[in-house]
Amino acid sequence: MSDPHASLPPGQVSVERRQSATSLSQTRPDASLPHVLDVESVAVTIKGKKIVSDISFWIPKGEFVCLCGPNGAGKSTLLKAILGLLPISAGRISIGGEAVIAGDHKIGYVPQRKGFDRDFPARAVDLIVAALRGTWPVRIREAERERARAALKRIGGERLLDKPLAGLSGGETQRVFLARALINDPSLIVLDEPTAGVDAKGRGELLELMTSISRSEELAAILVTHNLAAVAQTAERIVYIEAGKLLCWGLPDELLGQSSLTALAFQARDHHAHAPDDE
Amino acid sequence: MSWFFDPIGYEFMQRALIAGIAVSAVCAVIGVFIVQRGLAFLGDGLAHAAFGGIAIGLFMGASVENAVWIAIPFTACIALGIGFVLRRTQLRGDVATGVFFSFSFALGVLFLGLRTASDRQVGVESLLFGNMLFVTPSVLKVVVIVSIVTLVLTALLWSRLAYTIFDPELAAISGVPVAVLEYVLLVETAVVVVVAVKTVGVVLVSSFVVIPAATARLLGSTLPRATLLALVIGTLGSVIGLFASFHLKTPTAATIILIHSAAFAGALLWARIKR
Repeated sequence: MSDPHASLPPGQVSVERRQSATSLSQTRPDASLPHVLDVESVAVTIKGKKIVSDISFWIPKGEFVCLCGPNGAGKSTLLKAILGLLPISAGRISIGGEAVIAGDHKIGYVPQRKGFDRDFPARAVDLIVAALRGTWPVRIREAERERARAALKRIGGERLLDKPLAGLSGGETQRVFLARALINDPSLIVLDEPTAGVDAKGRGELLELMTSISRSEELAAILVTHNLAAVAQTAERIVYIEAGKLLCWGLPDELLGQSSLTALAFQARDHHAHAPDDE
Repeated sequence: MSWFFDPIGYEFMQRALIAGIAVSAVCAVIGVFIVQRGLAFLGDGLAHAAFGGIAIGLFMGASVENAVWIAIPFTACIALGIGFVLRRTQLRGDVATGVFFSFSFALGVLFLGLRTASDRQVGVESLLFGNMLFVTPSVLKVVVIVSIVTLVLTALLWSRLAYTIFDPELAAISGVPVAVLEYVLLVETAVVVVVAVKTVGVVLVSSFVVIPAATARLLGSTLPRATLLALVIGTLGSVIGLFASFHLKTPTAATIILIHSAAFAGALLWARIKR
């Protein structure tokens, strides 16, 4: 399929494409549900260039949302703004009605596996307690150790507590990061391509684990992924952005069938969904 | 025990022992973060920047001892420049360090060359290779004060620095001021390197930063353990090297580095056997 953007300058969505997107049926969350994440008319400008503009959506309690879009759509920028790592130039982002501040523990974050220093001499318990304290632990108190153990138990990884991070498989590493994200009982969990670098079996288990925790604990979650299979397995709703703008926000059944969307968002990277091990 | 008590009876050996322990301890502790951050080349780069700073001081008419007060802010600025390039560009640490290293060393050579025959004579060899046995009481005072202040500051910031080195993004989400800490670590390293240059010389100072930290990294399963091990390996290697150099009549800093290197080789062997 040809790229419908081919003739457009970067950062622009064609009028036809916008019209075609707005014509889609897009079911929004029930307004009566309590809001966990509110993204209201958000814009992010970096070095004078508007990367994200006028994006609005919200996530109710317990809903698992997939944030999708082609490469360069602004997903990572939006994610960093939600995490409080990037300032927003317009609009408002709030968790439970309050503005996001780094270090307030309302968001649990699972980064891409490649993100951290794998040579760093650390055990799973060190990483989890670091999230609890907000600083790297020199000595771990018994109460902290028990909380870390309980967090690992929630994700079925209790045996990983004292394992060195460098020796863990991709799936095990992400389980530890998931336990780390859950340790402060956050209102929202943010998952940034958490299955990248995880083998096919581990990927399926990890996605199953994330959705079951979200459902059983009524924990709102936002997953950024290029993996169509992951979206099909987890998404209760999809937020689709393109060229820094919100194009669609609806149910998977309404959007996943639209080849014009899925081709752009998943075609380039979809080998992740099929490769036996994409490490 | 005469191998210990005979040399320690000399005042110059007492000063060398204190300076060696202070420099080794502070270099080893900072070195753990520098090595883990992938900036092993930084010590070398900043030592050459210190040479540039000292040369500027000499050109301005300062004595070799007082030129350190010009070298400290100059090297700190170079360290901040390296930090700025690291944070604002896609260049790797070794590239950023290499550029500033060459610039400041060239500046040092230029300013030394601009001095006239009537200017105070300077032993460039002593600047490059240092001599722990010639540490004067006033230099010793500076070395000890800088080492204590840096060790205390690093101990206070240790948990936040460690988190920043592990993953700056996760640390920032937890509310750690990542950028400030990275600059603090670079300036600390700059100050320590300038002071260490006075005792071990430009060429050898980076070994004090890198080798004990790299050895400890092979042996320590956690960062706190690696830090403690680096401290022990660095200081113990200095003491053994100092006394060995006295008895063997070999250059002190070089002997210490060879002891540190032997410890590294032992750790490497141990790590392979353990695996």
